[in-house]
Amino acid sequence: MINKVLIANRGEIAVRIIRACREMRIETVAVYSQADREALHTKLADEAICIGPAPSKESYLSMEQIISATVISGADAIHPGFGFLSENSKFAELCQQCNITFIGPDAQVIAKLGNKQEARNTMAAANVPVIPGSTEAIYDAQTGAQIAREIGYPVIVKAALGGGGKGMRVAYTEEEFEQSFQTAQKETELAFGDNTMYIERYVQNPRHIEFQILADAYGNVIHLGERDCSIQRNHQKMIEESPSIALTDSLREEMGQAAVRAAKAAGYVNAGTIEFLLDSSGKYYFMEMNTRIQVEHPVTEWVTGIDLVKEQIRIASGKKLSYTQEEVRLTGHAIECRINAENPKKNFRPSPGTVTDMYLPGGKGIRIDSAIYSGYTIPPYYDSMVAKLIVWAKNRGEAIRKMQSALGEVIIEGIDTNVDYQYEILNHPDYLSGNIDIEFIEKMQGEIV
Amino acid sequence: MKLDNMFKKTRLPRRKGVGFADTSADTAKPEIPEGLLRKCNMCKAAIMTEDVEAGGYICPKCGGYFRVHAYRRIEMITDENTFEEWDRGLATKNPLKFKGYEEKLNALQEKTGLDEAVVTGKAKIGGVETVLGVCDGRFLMASMGEVVGEKIAKAVERATEQRLPVIFFTCSGGARMQEGIVSLMQMAKTSAALKRHSDAGLLYITVLTDPTTGGVTASFAMLGDVILAEPKALIGFAGPRVIGQTIGQKLPAGFQRSEFLLEHGFIDGIVERFQVKETLSLLLKLHADHPMESGTAGKPMVVSREWRDTKTVSAWERVLASRKKDRPVGKDYIDLLFTDFTELHGDRYFADDKAVIGGIARFHGMPVTVLAQEKGRDTKENIQRNFGMPSPDGYRKSLRLMKQAEKFHRPVICFVDTPGAFCGIEAEERGQAEAIARNIYEMSALKVPVLSIVIGEGGSGGALAMATADEVWMLENSVYSILSPEGFASILWKDSAKAQEAAEVMKLTAADLYEQGIVEQVLPEPPDYTVQNMKEVTDLLEKRIEGFLEQYVNIDTEALTQRRYERFRKM
Repeated sequence: MINKVLIANRGEIAVRIIRACREMRIETVAVYSQADREALHTKLADEAICIGPAPSKESYLSMEQIISATVISGADAIHPGFGFLSENSKFAELCQQCNITFIGPDAQVIAKLGNKQEARNTMAAANVPVIPGSTEAIYDAQTGAQIAREIGYPVIVKAALGGGGKGMRVAYTEEEFEQSFQTAQKETELAFGDNTMYIERYVQNPRHIEFQILADAYGNVIHLGERDCSIQRNHQKMIEESPSIALTDSLREEMGQAAVRAAKAAGYVNAGTIEFLLDSSGKYYFMEMNTRIQVEHPVTEWVTGIDLVKEQIRIASGKKLSYTQEEVRLTGHAIECRINAENPKKNFRPSPGTVTDMYLPGGKGIRIDSAIYSGYTIPPYYDSMVAKLIVWAKNRGEAIRKMQSALGEVIIEGIDTNVDYQYEILNHPDYLSGNIDIEFIEKMQGEIV
Repeated sequence: MKLDNMFKKTRLPRRKGVGFADTSADTAKPEIPEGLLRKCNMCKAAIMTEDVEAGGYICPKCGGYFRVHAYRRIEMITDENTFEEWDRGLATKNPLKFKGYEEKLNALQEKTGLDEAVVTGKAKIGGVETVLGVCDGRFLMASMGEVVGEKIAKAVERATEQRLPVIFFTCSGGARMQEGIVSLMQMAKTSAALKRHSDAGLLYITVLTDPTTGGVTASFAMLGDVILAEPKALIGFAGPRVIGQTIGQKLPAGFQRSEFLLEHGFIDGIVERFQVKETLSLLLKLHADHPMESGTAGKPMVVSREWRDTKTVSAWERVLASRKKDRPVGKDYIDLLFTDFTELHGDRYFADDKAVIGGIARFHGMPVTVLAQEKGRDTKENIQRNFGMPSPDGYRKSLRLMKQAEKFHRPVICFVDTPGAFCGIEAEERGQAEAIARNIYEMSALKVPVLSIVIGEGGSGGALAMATADEVWMLENSVYSILSPEGFASILWKDSAKAQEAAEVMKLTAADLYEQGIVEQVLPEPPDYTVQNMKEVTDLLEKRIEGFLEQYVNIDTEALTQRRYERFRKM
């Protein structure tokens, strides 16, 4: 039984959750940092509790403060949103210990899927394709070459402690391997003081395709189709759409089944997302599972007509799924653009500050999830995403035109935004034709700057 | 814009049963289970008990220290499963027949699982056996009644019998009011037992934790050979509230905290909680017997050249060289010549003088006490260290450490480098002359070998107060004189500008003093002597110190002091 939900988040997702609760006649408690006194979620909720100073570590990431706020306010559930504590298994466990319903999967499931190797093993066992790769640490090129042969070329050599593209090299053929391995290893030693490497199949020009799933506590799991999130910059998604034009009905069916198997294998309950890499030949590989609501959930909501946040709350309160797989139909085409307070001309430098004037578009097929208002001051402490513009139309072409038109109407004064940059993408011939992969932005960058 | 008012209509009316879910009769109300969270007394934040325990009882948010229960503390600092408890269950008497006292004690015993406010016994720390006592503030604020005094006295007596060191972790509100005068007598009982322990030449270390006040501070807490404290612990005799009310003044920030005590010379050092075990283990080892490992001082030194006599370099040039800014300072020698240097602070009277560094270290494995007049390496340090001009507190600190060396049979090695004892009002107020005199007086008869090495300026009485030694050595370009050439010129010729002239007639160079038999050795320096090329000097010095110690540690005490007596007697 959920009567009152505390939203352990801020920004547009907190607003989104408050709205869903309100429609369900559930009371809401917002938590806010000292920098968020004037934030929309703080104002909109039925109650608001200050949980600490501006830095996230001392407020939105402080489990003690959030749990205390929940108990004091008499809320019986916490919706963690995305980011912050949403995928923190310790936090989920803490909720459980305090008789607070955590709107998300079990702590153990979060922990299991958060561990890369364990998640991979779970998926492989459930017959979900994973990227072939080495299972043990590799220290020399000779061993590496042998494993690379088993995996199949092209392969990518990666630093075990890697990150930021350092210590990574692709080898397309066996001849290239030794050189690539040694360069990567040398880089790894310099960057991380360690020479542990691993190797996996290099997926060429893949798309990022993810499947939304819903699972209840009674073993029912359905998928709500895919989202194509290939337009990303430094692993940050910028534009998402559903459906993906790269998927045929049968591939969608196959990948959807795999996603359902994945969720079942993990013992997953609530809303979740299985991320895949899809190569040009139609081969797909499991990357990871996100155990929370996603930023881009509105595109799925629009093509399926299902309110994901409401479903999350229903599932958390012990209800069965409201839909069967057969009832899920994908209708039309939805696209989402993330609007960030940043300056693309200055290397996407964040641009906090006061929104002096603002006009956002509306009309048929336009949805805006936002946390800013005229006169609002965007604090510099948090993520720079301030709004999401989502459109829906019968087909992709119409949706793109609607998005172009809507982006053209957006006026946000006082701060820099990436609206014009998004507009450029929407007009790019490759985007228009659907010829995109996860390196799209990198390639396009050279053309427009 | 008034968003609040705009959104009023969207708010839910407050009423029961608005919940979305139906009437399923489930679930307990959300609540935080007992013990899951606790509050930090310093920053007032709620924190996870688990994090506090895993983090050594330190607040993960503000870094403040929680008080630690006695048994938990023992677990944290002793080698696993080595603690053997003594005297548990000594019955508390009720000397004043204080009403309700016994009931109170029974209730506390039940609640805390302690029998009284202190746990004593024997354990190993870093492999070294020691007697250990730990106070627990949960038990009547660890006030000292008869049982506490008795347990401490007994533990100390057994340590004396078994020739073991003693370590006490103190924390206390002071005397146990319910036991009246009997409680007061525990101060004498514990102190007396410790005096015997000390007279037996045994080591006593205290670690003061928050709060250590009243009769405990004024007895066994302050009597350690080495006194350590946890950061920011309240340590004092009268409590700050009482003092504030009595004198009707607002007390300064940080008053009676560990840092205040360190500055005022009452504790040897502040140790972070996670370093306590390591520090204790090192101190215990430094006080266990370790002969010098001979023959470890590298190859015989190839001296690049001999030191030059007065004729080749003028005395004034030497004076300037001895004062050069980039000349190696005391700490540089300590770093290069010794290992495990553990600095000890304070004179136990008034201050910790930063112009003198002192502590225990090893020379080729053998524990020695090292003292150095320290000028500092840059301007900021120069100021902090008062340009190497010690105050009375500096001399008193060095004397305290020399007496400590005597107790534990450690040779003393002094590095002399001072323009002179500090010349100022405060120095006179606190008895600069008395402090110097006392050092000379006590050093003359110190029962352990003393070596002094003049590494820069040997300024008058300020230098002699750390150079009344068995041997005095000088670096080639160091000087040692009755006062500075400037002072000399000013007194004799009423013109300090004639310093250069004065230097030439004062006979203050190493060569001059060697000739006069004031010093035993002169060590050559490379040209442009700095830390970069000081290894050349320290290698030679290391060899020579090894020779000195080999010779002197084997001389019996009487012969040693007699020799030192004669050394000065004939001058």
